Amino acid sequence: MLGDNEVMRTTAGELAGAALRAPFTRRARRELGFCLAGAVPAVAGFFLVVALLFAGTALTATLAGAFPGLLVLVLMLRLARRLGGLHRRLAGRLLGRPFAAPPPFVAARGLLRRLDARLRDGAGWRAVAYTALKLPLALLELYAASFWVSGAINVACPLWWRVFSPSQIVTPLPAGSFGVHNTAGAFAAFLVGSATLLAAPWLTRAVTTADGWLIRGLLGPAQLAQRVAELETSRSLAVDEAAAALRKVERDLHDGAQVRLAALALGLGMAKEKLGDDGKPLDIGQAARVRELVDAAHRSAKDALVELRDLARGIHPPVLDAGLADALATLAAQSIIPVGLTVDLAGRPTPAIETIAYFCAAELLANAAKHSGANRVIMELAQHGESFLMRVTDDGIGGADPTRGSGLPGLVQRVRTVDGRLTLDSPPGGPTVITVELPLRA
Amino acid sequence: MRVVIAEDAGLLREGLTTMLTDRGHEVCAAVADGDALIAAVARHQPDVAVVDIRMPPTHTDEGLRAAVALRRDHPGTGVLVFSQYIETRYAARLLEGNASGVGYLLKDRVADVAEFADALERVATGGTALDPEVVSQLLGASRRSSGLASLTARERDVLSLMAEGRSNAGIAAALVVTGGAVEKHVASIFAKLRLPPSEGDNRRVLAVLRYLGS
Repeated sequence: MLGDNEVMRTTAGELAGAALRAPFTRRARRELGFCLAGAVPAVAGFFLVVALLFAGTALTATLAGAFPGLLVLVLMLRLARRLGGLHRRLAGRLLGRPFAAPPPFVAARGLLRRLDARLRDGAGWRAVAYTALKLPLALLELYAASFWVSGAINVACPLWWRVFSPSQIVTPLPAGSFGVHNTAGAFAAFLVGSATLLAAPWLTRAVTTADGWLIRGLLGPAQLAQRVAELETSRSLAVDEAAAALRKVERDLHDGAQVRLAALALGLGMAKEKLGDDGKPLDIGQAARVRELVDAAHRSAKDALVELRDLARGIHPPVLDAGLADALATLAAQSIIPVGLTVDLAGRPTPAIETIAYFCAAELLANAAKHSGANRVIMELAQHGESFLMRVTDDGIGGADPTRGSGLPGLVQRVRTVDGRLTLDSPPGGPTVITVELPLRA
Repeated sequence: MRVVIAEDAGLLREGLTTMLTDRGHEVCAAVADGDALIAAVARHQPDVAVVDIRMPPTHTDEGLRAAVALRRDHPGTGVLVFSQYIETRYAARLLEGNASGVGYLLKDRVADVAEFADALERVATGGTALDPEVVSQLLGASRRSSGLASLTARERDVLSLMAEGRSNAGIAAALVVTGGAVEKHVASIFAKLRLPPSEGDNRRVLAVLRYLGS
């Protein structure tokens, strides 16, 4: 058992290790790159936008120049949006994190309305604010980057001071310059350089983080607007899905059971006619013909029953009434490939979610049976807070394409209607792992 | 009677073919889509065509469009459209001011083989066969008009049968009354709806439909 001291020592040791490693991590390099890359567009963009802002405002203030002035402001807003897009993409590319874009500008009809909409473009004005704040931030970013440069030069001082002697070393700190005249001076420069290098990643990280907040706040979608956009998408998906499902049911009924029943009625009508209505005995030929007709009608009736049952099960599988675990167990038992099933859910998800989970499971098992060539499928359900994961793993050939066919894209859509997610990992050669994340409540 | 059938469900196509052949009619062609129907009618010049409304490729109204084209290009061929649903708008497109040699029935009507065959023969000889469903939908749609409200229940029955395309004798048989009684009802309906009295079944149907549809 470790004493408190030992624990503290370990923690302190870990911290020291992390601090020493910090300058050499990939993250530090990415952040340094970001600090350097944004500087030129930040400075150029700032002066352009400010110039346009002043020109536009001044023109608008004069009576005659009001209209051109507004056009200049529109130009500024568009430029700021473009610049914002550039910074956002730079951040996304260099920091390796996605930054959501604001919704695209929606143009109105008519010149004046278009102008009005442009001037009210909230995302454009927020981009102007970012451009204004980015200038001081870019200078801070360059300052932070200078720690790396001076640190690297000064660490190497013992190697070069003789060549350039008498030499002066420069640090980004105020009053941080001193002359190096001897080995002791070079060693001091080495120490200062090391300290600068150790501090550099934290400085670049601090300014990068601040910039990240600004990008998220000013160059992304407004938070509420983002949620509204997501909900709009999922709602339209849900509505389309429901309409498509109903249309499919109608089509299935129309082409299936209704046709069979019409043919059945026709056959029985013909048989009835052949039998006559006065109880007259039939000759052998007629009797055989009637038997044939009734036989065909009987077959039609049985086929119609099967079709109706399949259709009803496709709308709502009755086994789901007993709960998702039972329904999945039934599915697993019916599967051609052996399925190992574990379900670990505290309560029951809402019925809509259970239905979606069930159809996902059915489709995924059917896919595995049809395409994967797997010998075994593992299906696991586990709860994670307010949502649960259904993971289906098979040991087949892999190479499943989420965009091909109608099965997987249909599932992705269906899951998205309730804010869920479907992820697929299926390298060629397998194994295929498909994870469906669903909320417990829709 | 020479018949061409257009129906995309093979089961029903075969059933109809068997039924009509059984009754001594000649099925010249049994096809599964609108284009094939038009080609078959042009080739065989049949007395009547039985046309399903929903057929490939779009499964919406290609049968109806083919039927309208047939009525325009082959006036000698009667067209009996049949479908799993009755749409009043489809009926209107099909009739378009001319109710001769046209029929519109629910698919269910094939169950009463004799009646279906009668309707087909009526259409083949230039008559009319509208599904009671069409008539009741039209009646329902024009309930607000004042003329209908003044009809007695019996007169409504007679009006429905008239709109289906039946003659006075046919109506008398269906309602189990005498021909004279039917004539009295018809005269009363025409008077109440202010329809000009006319000869011949089709013009009667047309007059009734025009009134109902207005």
